[in-house]
Amino acid sequence: MRYGGDNRGRLLIIVLLVTSLFLITLDLRGVQVIDGLRTGTQTALTPVQKVGSWVVSPFRNFLSDVTHLGRTRNQMEKLKAENDKLRLKLQSRQTADAQLKQLKGVLNLAGTAGYKVVNAKVISQGSSTSFTQTLTIDAGTTSGIHTNMTVLSGYGLVGVVKYAYANSALVQLASDPAFKIGARIAGTQQIGILSGQGTRKGVLQLLDNTTQVHKGDALLARGSQNGRPFVPGVPIGEVTSVDNSPGAVTQTADVKFYTNFSTLGVVAVVVSGSSADPRDALVPPKPRPTPIPTVTIYATPGAAEPSPTATK
Amino acid sequence: MSLRRFLYSFPIFLTVFLLQESFVTQMRLPAGGFNVLLIVALIWAALCTPEIGALTGFGAGLMMDVSQTSPGPMGHWTLVLIIACYAIAFLGYGDDNIRGNPINIVLLTTIGVVAAQAVFLILGLMLGQEIGSISNIFFVLAGSAFWTAIISPLILKVISYLHAIVFGSSSRI
Repeated sequence: MRYGGDNRGRLLIIVLLVTSLFLITLDLRGVQVIDGLRTGTQTALTPVQKVGSWVVSPFRNFLSDVTHLGRTRNQMEKLKAENDKLRLKLQSRQTADAQLKQLKGVLNLAGTAGYKVVNAKVISQGSSTSFTQTLTIDAGTTSGIHTNMTVLSGYGLVGVVKYAYANSALVQLASDPAFKIGARIAGTQQIGILSGQGTRKGVLQLLDNTTQVHKGDALLARGSQNGRPFVPGVPIGEVTSVDNSPGAVTQTADVKFYTNFSTLGVVAVVVSGSSADPRDALVPPKPRPTPIPTVTIYATPGAAEPSPTATK
Repeated sequence: MSLRRFLYSFPIFLTVFLLQESFVTQMRLPAGGFNVLLIVALIWAALCTPEIGALTGFGAGLMMDVSQTSPGPMGHWTLVLIIACYAIAFLGYGDDNIRGNPINIVLLTTIGVVAAQAVFLILGLMLGQEIGSISNIFFVLAGSAFWTAIISPLILKVISYLHAIVFGSSSRI
């Protein structure tokens, strides 16, 4: 053994370990000083994070473009077409345009449902090294944002406000493994519990095993008492596969969230829900296939010229 | 004397913490990204005595615990990093084959990051936290190992230089 350590060294290690266990105990018992430490740190960090967001945004945009390239051929072609269009625009307007689009989408959604919302920019995305999925927004209690409020994007549910500070708030994303929400299937009104899995896919567990769920079914939030943490009617995602194992106690299904959490720039926090439940009004319309025009030519022997007939 | 010198390293770790919270978390890197504070703490510990390594783990762990993105209770990362930094310092102490070779330090740090995250996960499970799907856990751990193996050689020289300033030139690689 190269190193045995002396008594003083061993005592130091023991003191450090006991201190950390003491801190864990204090925090689990809900001592206010510990909560205050995190709140104070976040309040102090918010201005620095805003500067960091501004500095890193060109690099982040570039990286986001690179990581999303080439996933499918269609996406690549779409991106190429978009790039051609974007070349015509000024460089400085790119970020602003994207945020404006997200803002329009989220305002459309909130307007349809009658939610009162506060818009906010995403200033930081939590590191997933701690196995959590969070992001930080640049609006907090001074803008009327408090804990347990629903957060939306233009496509649907983003998550819920976990902590609210003076000028910022931490949002727990719907993809977080600890996230759970009561959901219902649009149309059939079957209810279940949706859990995050750390990715863009969630797992829906139906409460009634006799009912049927199908691929493509849209999921909406059931809503909570007084609209907190969840307002009713918010689109969550779409069923991608159903597990119909005969021995299973409950029926489960995989759900793909409507919101792409990695590209969020602007979100909206619902500060007060609508007076009436929007029911299924927010379900996004299913994409309709565009009819392809075809031309059929009938050639009759002996006729002067064939006559083209356009059909759809 | 060593303890007083250890306190001089506080501004370095504070700067790294600010860098992590303000810039690294903004980059949205693929495969979960990396935690520069965790990497720096483990490299720093690899160059120290076991006692200073444990103290480094304690300080860096406290900083990671006050981060708003830390899901566990206060002291969770502290406990994990005391153990991880002490273990790394213990392995490298007095063995120039490990401490004098940058490749060994990078390897030790990469294994240390993955091990620290695994211990963090197990402790989290014991404290009742949700950890998500197994595939996601392996994805995050593999991502961490990948990024640590890339980042640590890039910053090793700088950390070694700063460590030599604080503790004397004997630890410089």
